[in-house]
Amino acid sequence: MTMKQFQYTIKDELGIHARPAGLLVKKASEFKSTVSVDNGTKKGDAKKIMSLMMMAVKQGQTVTFTIEGEDEAAAAEALEAFMKENL
Amino acid sequence: MGLFDIFKKKDDGIVLGAPMKGKCVSIREVPDPTFGEEILGKGIAIIPSDGRVYAPADGVVSTVFPTGHAVGVTTPDGAELLIHIGLDTVELKGEPFTIKVSADQNVKKGDLLIEADLEKIKASGKDTITPMVICNSDNWTNIESFAGRDVEPGDEVMKLSK
Repeated sequence: MTMKQFQYTIKDELGIHARPAGLLVKKASEFKSTVSVDNGTKKGDAKKIMSLMMMAVKQGQTVTFTIEGEDEAAAAEALEAFMKENL
Repeated sequence: MGLFDIFKKKDDGIVLGAPMKGKCVSIREVPDPTFGEEILGKGIAIIPSDGRVYAPADGVVSTVFPTGHAVGVTTPDGAELLIHIGLDTVELKGEPFTIKVSADQNVKKGDLLIEADLEKIKASGKDTITPMVICNSDNWTNIESFAGRDVEPGDEVMKLSK
């Protein structure tokens, strides 16, 4: 299987805190694909709130999204749009 | 299923204590859709009358936000709890909060996690209502909450079963 990846640098001065983490999980959960997030030091599962929050992603950090599954193209597009809009 | 299985089944669940002293209300009363619409998970909220935040159960501190406005505790049975002190309090950048624990630390029910200065939070125009949610709500078949009453820290406010 192929996979989709994109990178995003966090612009929100508060980083990925509770609200955006919850919304991101909600968005990622709309898709069947697995979505993992990596900020270079920690990896997380974008479908699990605690996993995302434990990464404590801060402003200025670049995170890599890796999306794998049958709807990976649509998921990658939606998640990239979500990040640009919210973080 | 034998007789003893029935007895075993009976206390198959996790009881969570109130993290703060105050009034325990339904999560749906929280005027913030992230919590009120259960985006972060099912739970309850406390309208606190004292700023000290205690561990609702034994567990490990999974995350403490550097700003001190939220803390996560994971219980040995895998319940992922998040206590978020006040609404939009991330914007206060830590000022009203004193963090008493660090990530990966083991805690017992009733251990002090964070001290919040409720007056400072109110003075900044923020709501002090404190949601406590189960981030992995989907892992539990039944989540009971006991809202609508005054509570002391540690009083039973939720029960989870698999």
